[in-house]
Amino acid sequence: MITRPEHDPGTRYLSRWSEEVIDAAKKKGIDVTDLCQKKAVRKELEGRIKRIDPSFILFNGHGGADCVTGHDNEVLIKAEDNHSLLKNRVTYAVSCNSAQKLGAVCADKNTAYIGYDESFIFNIDRTHLRRPLEDQRAAQFLEASNQVSLLLIKGHAVKEACNGSKKVFKDAIKKLLPSINNDPFANDDIADLFWDMNHLVCMGDGTKQIV
Amino acid sequence: MPSSQEEISNQEEISIDNDVRELVIARLKLLSPDTIKSIGDKGVFSRDELIECVEKGDETGEIVKKVEMEWLRAVKNGIVDKIYE
Repeated sequence: MITRPEHDPGTRYLSRWSEEVIDAAKKKGIDVTDLCQKKAVRKELEGRIKRIDPSFILFNGHGGADCVTGHDNEVLIKAEDNHSLLKNRVTYAVSCNSAQKLGAVCADKNTAYIGYDESFIFNIDRTHLRRPLEDQRAAQFLEASNQVSLLLIKGHAVKEACNGSKKVFKDAIKKLLPSINNDPFANDDIADLFWDMNHLVCMGDGTKQIV
Repeated sequence: MPSSQEEISNQEEISIDNDVRELVIARLKLLSPDTIKSIGDKGVFSRDELIECVEKGDETGEIVKKVEMEWLRAVKNGIVDKIYE
């Protein structure tokens, strides 16, 4: 199951870049429930989770320490409210801070939560705002963050998927390092890639798989 | 009333904070105006908006400073060599 709100430039980028994850899942024969745009609301999410019982939920959107939000920033999942819906599943939240509290209350020996314990940051080239998939600056960040889902779909365990994503962040930094003294973009992107890599965390059952 | 040692320590902190702010602003000024940064639920910011946030010291500006400092501390502690290992 995937949520893809699209109400601002940040969520529109995440949504478009998630298409490759959806394609990969479908190619693998996995049923995908896509809560896109106005469907990325709490009522839809709760109903679908109860009906479909997904093994993996990928949240794209904004969030806070104790929640992840959907369309127009409606709270979808909140710690000490409806977080039990994530129990016994694998969750990956591409959103800010949610690993701090939401991840902490969800994670246990049968549940895995992957997310960021600080802001998830990515850089955009304004000239590509209407064509997110052609934006090579954003690609460095979103290809790395997508690795978590892509590796899970390939059958890797949660911990391996998280480490695989960190490796792609690291490779992106390595590629930029030779330009650090003469390219201000490189300097800026490296600091942000390093930040995202450091704050991607995996909690709970690291051996869990989704397929 | 704070002791003179506490006062000195506070003054040092303020001075370091100002140095970091100036460094971050100098680095942001080098970026093209076409740069946009998406900082989660804080929103998306142009280069000039980011400079304003850092100057004001608001929540977004503090995040930008933290990101820069985390990288600079890592460089000081040898992260570049570790990345190439």
